[in-house]
Amino acid sequence: VYQVFENVAKKYDVMNDSMTLGIHRVWKDILVHKMNPCPGTLLLDVAGGTGDIAFRFINYVRSVRQRQLQRKLKNHQNLSWQEIFESYQKDKFNSLGDSQVVVCDINREMLKVGKQKAQHLGYSEGLSWVLGNAEELPFDDDKFDVYTIAFGIRNVTRIDLALQEAYRVLKPGGRFLCLEFSHVSNPLLSRLYDLYSFQVIPVLGEVIAGDWRSYQYLVESIRQFPPQEELKAMIEDAGFFKVDYENLNFGIVAIHSGFKL
Amino acid sequence: VRCQHCPPLRALQASAALRRASDEHKKEPWASSSQQHFDSPPAGPQPEQEPQGPRPSYTGQGGQESEDYESEEQLQHRILTAALEFVPEHGWTAEAIAEGAKTLGLSVAAAGMFHSDGSELVLHFVSECNTKLSKLLEKEQKLVQLGEAEKKPLDEFLRDAVEARLRMLIPYIEKWPQALSVLLLPRNIPSSLTLLTSMIDDIWHYAGDQSTDFNWYTRRAVLTGIYNTTELVMMQDSSPGFEDTWRFLENRVADAMTMSNTASQVQSTGEAVVQGLMGAAVTVSN
Repeated sequence: VYQVFENVAKKYDVMNDSMTLGIHRVWKDILVHKMNPCPGTLLLDVAGGTGDIAFRFINYVRSVRQRQLQRKLKNHQNLSWQEIFESYQKDKFNSLGDSQVVVCDINREMLKVGKQKAQHLGYSEGLSWVLGNAEELPFDDDKFDVYTIAFGIRNVTRIDLALQEAYRVLKPGGRFLCLEFSHVSNPLLSRLYDLYSFQVIPVLGEVIAGDWRSYQYLVESIRQFPPQEELKAMIEDAGFFKVDYENLNFGIVAIHSGFKL
Repeated sequence: VRCQHCPPLRALQASAALRRASDEHKKEPWASSSQQHFDSPPAGPQPEQEPQGPRPSYTGQGGQESEDYESEEQLQHRILTAALEFVPEHGWTAEAIAEGAKTLGLSVAAAGMFHSDGSELVLHFVSECNTKLSKLLEKEQKLVQLGEAEKKPLDEFLRDAVEARLRMLIPYIEKWPQALSVLLLPRNIPSSLTLLTSMIDDIWHYAGDQSTDFNWYTRRAVLTGIYNTTELVMMQDSSPGFEDTWRFLENRVADAMTMSNTASQVQSTGEAVVQGLMGAAVTVSN
């Protein structure tokens, strides 16, 4: 797994765009919308290498925070100028409202690409980059509000261990979110999807990233991955409650959600 | 280290939990009010929140019951109740729910269990108010039965019941228009309508209405009309102690009383007219 992603790291984003025809951006947007984080949320993004989810989270929280501040200012119409100035000062340096993202990945290369992207796009505060293994997270118990793993869990050898670790590091009331390729039940679409996956994607991999094998591996790992209901049962076994999944694009991708209660 | 061989044990716990959960359901707060008189059962606050998987028990896989058993629904109930405190500041939103969850020691992400538009919060509040009203009316009825209080005349009874119910909105009156708009969302209309009709039924039941004839529908409709219009007037009312609203309520109830008299007159006239027409038709056909 490590070597696959070592090869893949630099071209990761480009390949994602071409493989999914850019739809992966929408999928990730939907994930963050579903999360609906409020300022002050601590997010752990596992296998989040190049930081896609992290950046979206920061954007979302920032805009929510903006709206909050605007509302507060509206309610403070009767304050004196001095008080308004003071509250503005206090909040100006808190544009994220104490929210934080920790991006954890097993692969140093992916993290490097992520850090460069962050710098390039101008994300400075609220981000941490940590090297770690999803099956054995280097964090204490009960630390995070939300745990996300976007297109990462199928690369984990022992999914149950990763789920248990997720349960461990989440605070009570915390949420587990998993975005992953899943099972298409519609037969017609399934055939088209298979065709696309096995014929087109490895070719794209060769052309764009110069690596046929990694993308062959990718497509096969998608087929091997447990379908929606099975993954849901596994998440429940790890101790999560209110486990549910939402199919996107007829099951090409599914978002699983569970709570530690 | 979690026990990996626990699935059979878990299934046992799940079935026990299911049984306990269904018992818990039966002990829901409004079982106290006589529900047999209602045609439609009062709606549960979150029918769509039923867990999809087996009802997991709170004890986890270790099997040690370190805390009292609490179902997901009860926890959600507690979160929503805690969230009400934050409604005046944040409105009927997921933010209020998040703050509520925080006070219970849970992560703010727990608000993700609910819809992001705060629907469940409003519905929860409305059903809580209805329950409170039921209890209040039941208490009053007991006093009357024990002879410690006098039975109120109908118009006064209706007026007091509607006023008591509307007074529960006062702490949230600023954000109530937002709540009303949430209740009118197509998705929420079945639940909000059921809550409204069960509340009206409740009031009529304690008013001593036992009939199930045609008049029952009119009475229900009339009182619903009175309640809704008074509620809207209350939104706009800025008089001290909402006295304008109570005066409006008094007038509407008085109108309803006179109308019911005319209505029964109209009805008997209507019946007479119908009979006359029938007779005419029979004559003509012959």
